[in-house]
Amino acid sequence: MAIEMIMPKVDMDQETGTVVEWLKTDGQQVKEGETILVIETDKIAIDVEAPGTGILNGISANQGDVIPIGTVIAYILEEGEKLPAAAASPSAPEPAAVPEPTAAAEEVSATPVAKKMAETLGVDLSRVTPTGKGGKVTKDDVQSSLAPAALSGDVIATPAARRTARLKGVDLSRVRGSGPKGRIQASDVENFQPGAGMVAASHVQSGGTIPLIGMRRTIAERLTASYQSIPHIQFTARVDMKNFINARNDYNELAIERGDEKVSVTAMLVKLVSMVIADHPMINSSLVENSIILHQDINIGVAVAIEKGLIVPVVKNANQKGISKIAVETNDLVKRAREETLVGPDVRGGTFTITNLGPFGVEQFNAIINPPEAGILAIGATTNEVVALEDGAIAVRPIMRFTLSADHRIVDGAVAARFIADLKTTFENPILMNY
Amino acid sequence: MREITFLEAIREAMTQEMERDSRVFLIGEDIGEYGGAFQVSYGMLEKFGHERILDTPITELGLTGAAVGAALIGMRPIAEIMFMDFTTLASEQLVNQAAKLRFMFGGQSSVPMVLRTPAGSGTGAAEHHSQSFENWFVHVPGLKVVMPTTPYDVKGLLISSIRDNNPVVFIEHKLLYKTKGEVPEEMYEIPLGKADIKREGKDLTIIATGIMVQKSLAAAEELIKEGIDIEVLDPRTLRPLDTESIVKSVKKTGKVLIVHEAVKTGGFGGELAGVIAESEAFGYLEAPIIRLAGREVPIPYNRDLEKAAVPQIEDIVEKARELATLKV
Repeated sequence: MAIEMIMPKVDMDQETGTVVEWLKTDGQQVKEGETILVIETDKIAIDVEAPGTGILNGISANQGDVIPIGTVIAYILEEGEKLPAAAASPSAPEPAAVPEPTAAAEEVSATPVAKKMAETLGVDLSRVTPTGKGGKVTKDDVQSSLAPAALSGDVIATPAARRTARLKGVDLSRVRGSGPKGRIQASDVENFQPGAGMVAASHVQSGGTIPLIGMRRTIAERLTASYQSIPHIQFTARVDMKNFINARNDYNELAIERGDEKVSVTAMLVKLVSMVIADHPMINSSLVENSIILHQDINIGVAVAIEKGLIVPVVKNANQKGISKIAVETNDLVKRAREETLVGPDVRGGTFTITNLGPFGVEQFNAIINPPEAGILAIGATTNEVVALEDGAIAVRPIMRFTLSADHRIVDGAVAARFIADLKTTFENPILMNY
Repeated sequence: MREITFLEAIREAMTQEMERDSRVFLIGEDIGEYGGAFQVSYGMLEKFGHERILDTPITELGLTGAAVGAALIGMRPIAEIMFMDFTTLASEQLVNQAAKLRFMFGGQSSVPMVLRTPAGSGTGAAEHHSQSFENWFVHVPGLKVVMPTTPYDVKGLLISSIRDNNPVVFIEHKLLYKTKGEVPEEMYEIPLGKADIKREGKDLTIIATGIMVQKSLAAAEELIKEGIDIEVLDPRTLRPLDTESIVKSVKKTGKVLIVHEAVKTGGFGGELAGVIAESEAFGYLEAPIIRLAGREVPIPYNRDLEKAAVPQIEDIVEKARELATLKV
């Protein structure tokens, strides 16, 4: 019996998964439980195990394909077993790479011309819908199974579609064509929505093109959408970090005494920001359709740079947790982010984000809002600076600059300014967190 | 308005022009006593006499040469070649003389003649009496080529052709002669080089010539039942061609089916496709430009084979449906 391999559902609200990489190809032997596929949801990469032991065959989802959950994307067959008829659906995308002829393919009944053609063009006959007498695959069947775009990496589009794409700035390699043999029509371009059912430009060119798939695509699309649709308003303030640093040192002395985990700057920031946000509900809201949704939970996302891009794990209800607990949680999240072992719930439900480029020496920067959140706080480096004190004396103090980017549709300038002022006060007097 | 046939409209145009302008005369084989092979000039001999209705021996080259010579000295001859197949014999005078003289004499002379000729298949007249050679003449600068498709158009276009100072090849499809339509009694001109949208539509442009305009209109009536709304464009004049109207229509619909009876290879459809591909309409194309044209054979005598050799209404319906629904 052929075992179906489906696009798994690994998250509550997951509707599709992106194929990142097949670790095995058609015709290879696989063992049950062995990792044979990597998929990605919005932000998480997941290893997918073989659901059974046998020969992997009939892979119908290629790198970069966005596939609805539950869709059969491959089969595991017993030795000599043929692919089920459903696998030979004409709509199944052709693989970008030409698979090795498999045992199953040789058993497919086909006319001599069709066989020759399939061999020349690298078509897997087992995946062609036969229409000839006695279930034979004919020349026409092979022809109609060809998805030229998938085979060659070329874009097949009408002149009108190309013109529309040029006017709208749409990358045709991402548009799925509805015309004959996948030809892109102008209406396909007009109806194209970045992020919905797209096909990736999945070829790595000899010059070293990086396919825009998975996390990279998600980042590209989200940031573009955010920056284009949300009017960002930005405010920078300067903080004297002397008390912050002292407080953190005190906490860490305590932690060492107790054998607890160290309190990172990030943990301190998460705690303080969440406390201040509690007094500023508009900062902790989302504009969805025609309403502003005020969030009761204060879930602080922490941007973590990883090799493949960026991921934002979330510390839930940070305002209700003690600093030591937050320290444990953030340390764990950051560690697992770097190991790429975060799971869906770790990265969901954020209501505000902190991004800290201080460790890289960046003094000040503007961040792009992570929708549907209303704001993001960009933390700069803390450096000793010469400052004028209130009494006119000159002193050297550890100064940090932070910049709030807020959704100006929701957050008025004065609202943001009051939040900034409270943040500054709290950063400069962290003792207030226990007030 | 009164209805007359295509054939009667031609006769009326010639008669009215001969009454208006004494320089206009007819020359051809069997056009006088016999009234013409298709009876187009029936009764005109009685009205205008042998001086203005000239029956000639069977010599297409000779009668065309006579027309060219008469035109050069200021007459306005209407020559009839009984079947377009025989324009091969007339083409030396037409192509090498009529088309060239105005240019060779720096515009000091002109050849204001019309060469009328029935063309096309459908009458069971076989290989030598059924051909469509319009593109042979479209290829020649200095000639104008007109292909009317309705009684109204044929009268206005023929009057314009007679009044034009250049040699005009005026091609009449045999199957159109008996078709009827509203035609004003008074004289009127339809300018050469102006296409006509015979039916407005939004899903597909059919550019058809000659009898194929009528067949395409019938196909359009079939397809509107399926919700496919077809525009039928009749260039009416093949040279000069109304590129502007073609481009405008193609930009609107994004899909083009070209239908003509002449053999596809080297046919006028290639010219139309080229004009479209070179124009700004290119960027509006939603499908390949498709040509539906005569098969690569001489027109057979057998009636079934004769039908099969040229596009029929059902062929147009099928191809137009494929194109409109993006199956090609």
